[in-house]
Order: sequence, then C-alpha cells, then structure tokens
Amino acid sequence: MYAALAGSGVAIVPFSSASVLADLEVGIVWWGAVEALTVVVVFLHGWSANAQFGLIGAYRYVAIGLPVMLISMFMLIAAALPAESLALPQIVESQRGLWNVIRQPLGLPLFLLLGLSLSFRGPFNYADSADIAGGTAAEVSGAPRLVWEFARLAMLTAVAAMAASVFLGGYLGPWLPGPAWLVLKTATLLLVLVCLTEQLARISPSRMMTLIWTTLLPLSFLHLVWAGVLAL
Amino acid sequence: MNVIDIAFWIFAAIAVISGWRVFCTDSMVRASFLLLLSFIAVGLIMVLLNAPYLGIATVFMMAVEMMVMALFMVMFMMNPAGLNPMMMVHQHRFSIAAGVFVFATLTGLICVTRFTSNPVDPGLDSVASLGKELLGNSMLIFETAGVTLLATMVASVILSSRSGRFGTADTGAVPPPLEPGGEPAGRQPEQHSGHAHHHH
Repeated sequence: MYAALAGSGVAIVPFSSASVLADLEVGIVWWGAVEALTVVVVFLHGWSANAQFGLIGAYRYVAIGLPVMLISMFMLIAAALPAESLALPQIVESQRGLWNVIRQPLGLPLFLLLGLSLSFRGPFNYADSADIAGGTAAEVSGAPRLVWEFARLAMLTAVAAMAASVFLGGYLGPWLPGPAWLVLKTATLLLVLVCLTEQLARISPSRMMTLIWTTLLPLSFLHLVWAGVLAL
Repeated sequence: MNVIDIAFWIFAAIAVISGWRVFCTDSMVRASFLLLLSFIAVGLIMVLLNAPYLGIATVFMMAVEMMVMALFMVMFMMNPAGLNPMMMVHQHRFSIAAGVFVFATLTGLICVTRFTSNPVDPGLDSVASLGKELLGNSMLIFETAGVTLLATMVASVILSSRSGRFGTADTGAVPPPLEPGGEPAGRQPEQHSGHAHHHH
C-alpha cells in the first residue's frame, strides 16, 4: 500500500513540463531521480510481500529495469545538449526550429521502451506478468491493488508526457493553444505505447538482457555521439 | 524558526536515525534501503541549501546505487534471495574506535572553525556556475571519457561472463562427471522432450 502510493506520487510529480507546475532548473535530473526511485519502489513492492512470486518479479524487474533506465538517461542527456540546459522549458524551447524526434531520430523509440519498462507492460512485463501469477502484485488485492494499477497507468502517462515534451516539441505547434498540443501529443504517444504493449511479444529475460546490453546500449552511445557532434 | 528550519531538523533526524538503523538490521536489502533513506534526507537538505543539482543528483545516484548494491550483495553472498538473516557488521572494536575518532575530529573541527559569511547574489545561476567550476572547458573530454569508461565496463563484463561455472555460457552449462569420462553429474534432461508429463 505504501509502495503503491509512493509509485503513484512519483508518477504524478513530473507533469510539470509545459505551462510548468514546478519550474525546476534541473528538471532532467529530477526525472532521473523519479525513474530510479520507481525501480526501487517496484522492487520493494515485490520484496515486501515476503512471497516467492513477488520476489521473482522484483528481481527480474530490477535486472531489466536498470539497464533500460540507463538507456533513457542517455536519451535525455542527448536531448539536453542542443538546449544547453537541464530545464525542461528550455529543452522545449530549443525545439522551436526542429523537433528533437527529427534531429535525434533514435531518441523517441528508445525512450518509449522506458515507458514500457517503467510501467512493466507488454514486452517488458517482467515484474507483474501472468507466468509468475501476477508477480509483485500477486499478494495484494482490493484497494491497494487498485492504487497499484492506477500508479502503473499514471507512470505510463507521465512517460508519454515527458516524451512529448522532450522529443515532440511539447506545447509548440500552430493554430491550437499550447496545452492542447501537449495533450494531443501525449495521447498519440499513449496510443503508440498501448499498441506496442499489445503487438510485441515478450522474450525470455536472459535474451532481453543480451538484447539490451549488446544492441540497445551501444545504439544509445551512438545516439549520444550523434547528438554531441550536432550540438558542436 | 521558519519552515525551512523545521524541514531541516526533520530531514536531519531522518538521516541520522536511518543511518543508525543501517547497522542494527540483519538483512542486506533492509540495510541498503535504510542507507538510501538516509541519503535521500541528506539530498533534500542540500536542496534546502539552494543546491538543487547536487541534492537531486544525490537522490538519483543513490537510488540507483543502493538498488544495484542490494542486487549484487544478494547475488554474490551465497544467501538465497537475501532471505536469511545475517550479521551486517564486522570488526566491531576497530569500527567503533574509528567511528568515535572520526566523529570527534569532525565535530571538533566544526566547533573550532570560524565560518565566513559571504553571501552571493541571489540571482546567481548556481547550476551553471557549479558546472563551470567543476568542469570548466573540459566538458567534452569528461563526457567522452565517461561514455568510453561505461562502454569498457560493459565490454569487460560481457567478455568475462562467457566462462561459466561448468564451461562456457554459449555451449550450455553441463556439470562435470563424478568419475572421469562418465555421465555428467546431476539430473539428466528428459529424453522424450515434449512428452515430459506422461500420466501412468
């Protein structure tokens, strides 16, 4: 219950992207802390159940969730380079000429993987999947379970809003007012995320580990070098 | 006492108490996350001190670090899933002596030192000036070195993890035979794969 509340709280905070609820100088670092604490909270949710399936889900989640988080941090650093700032409003403003999704084409797809991993859905559902009888959520029911599922969805939405701001120009756009654009872009990304959840099959954890460490992480290095050279 | 003072005392109490509890628990996971709680409180104190980058970066780094530490301790400690209680402290006398000595020295220094009061311009962009102070013009070198180091670490782990306990990882793990030239030890895989669940 405590973990579920923390999870939903953690998820809701970084909505401060567009018309800026909390104008942090170090928004990207804040988001990094949110990602890291989410991994901790999901782990503790499984571990604290004191039951086998929860524990298995918790350890599997940490093994997959940490490297995916690493990749996402490279994406965010790369996006901060052209803006020369860690603050989200500046990153959005830096995309006035050209959106980051075109300037840094690898960023958005790799960052969307984070959305699936952070809320453990579809191909990245190693924490709460059916093969371990619900995993970290196997031992909770009723209201705490509802809060937990709500937190997962809230986190998915938060990732979509973050991706819309960092890669799709956030509130920038013609004709419509800014917030409408942000909502529209977030909803589009949510649709993409839900489609990915439904369409992609999950592979075994060991093969996913190999894929992440030997393919996706080098790709993210390339992406960072690409962004750095462009920013120079 | 204003709100910031109250917040400081609350965070300070959390930092000290959870830091003390780290040494009283008998579980690796509990010890790791109590330490994390202590670090989070310290990070928030830094945010109160108007050092947002350092404070939030502390929370971020420590969350990852403690998670990795808990995982690695459980993995390498031969303590199944980290579930068995274990003693988390060792070398008691030496540790107590070292702790008392360091505490006395630091507290003494704080009491003796006269801290200068040198207020800066409140409009100062502390994050940018911190970055310039730390890295100066060598930002590119640091970033390149960081990514190179990480790539090296990943590569060395991948190279070293090929050799498993019972042979290389990519040939499949087969335990050695009990007698020279005999069958591999342990349970044999089913001969009729796909018919493993015969009911008689």
